[in-house]
Amino acid sequence: MAERGVAPFTAFIGAEMEELREGYARLSLVLQERHTSPNGAMHGGVIMTLMDSALGASLGALRGQEARRNPHATVEMNAGFLAGARVGDRIVVEGRVIHMGKSIAFGEAEARHNDGDLIAKGRLTFAIRGGSR
Amino acid sequence: MSAGRGPGAIEGPPSSPFTELIGGRFEEWSEDCVRISLVLEPHHTNPSGVMHGGVITSLMDEALGQVIAAARGLETMQVAPHSTVEMNASFLAAARPGDRVVVEGRVLRLGKSIAFGEAEARRGDGELIAKGRLTFAIHDRSG
Repeated sequence: MAERGVAPFTAFIGAEMEELREGYARLSLVLQERHTSPNGAMHGGVIMTLMDSALGASLGALRGQEARRNPHATVEMNAGFLAGARVGDRIVVEGRVIHMGKSIAFGEAEARHNDGDLIAKGRLTFAIRGGSR
Repeated sequence: MSAGRGPGAIEGPPSSPFTELIGGRFEEWSEDCVRISLVLEPHHTNPSGVMHGGVITSLMDEALGQVIAAARGLETMQVAPHSTVEMNASFLAAARPGDRVVVEGRVLRLGKSIAFGEAEARRGDGELIAKGRLTFAIHDRSG
């Protein structure tokens, strides 16, 4: 249905998967006019989407085939927005699994400007359906 | 910037280009409530085929940004724009392509430098699918 690890919605908004391994994913996106708010700055939803995707993919890579049998889904997420970003900026979002239990997994995500400045920090919780390990 | 408003849609200020990209449509725009709807399509999904969480969080962010704009007034907002500093969302139920989702944003408190709000997302059948809380900073450029 989609390129490995990349959700259709994430591909639709124009993000690319740069690295994907067990418990870690890194996505990037070059901000365009279509990613903005009325004030011309990056829309917060862009970052929320990339964080959710990065964690979903990193957890998928960690769970392997089991993720296909019993998919995981976001149940809770938060993000603090520390700095803005503008059209032309390249942003990089990294997601890391902090802990994976039988039915719940926890992760964290960071969004940075290309030059390394932190733009946003997030925490995400996923439910693992039918967890039976 | 008005592509998000088809026939019968309400009048209001420009919606975000990002919300137009996603396909959100404004149904109500007032200082009490901003309501945005979307019919889910296959490109709104995650790899397991259900709605991507980013769709809802994006619409929540838009609904709150807009309801705060309505409460503050467009002229005020242009002098001192507001932006999201913190948000959270709990996802209570799933939605699939073909489902209509409706997101409503309301202001809890509007201060001088901070605004607080909450958002709810429901499926067309009325079931609550997500609940969010958002905090915005108001950037006064005149200070």
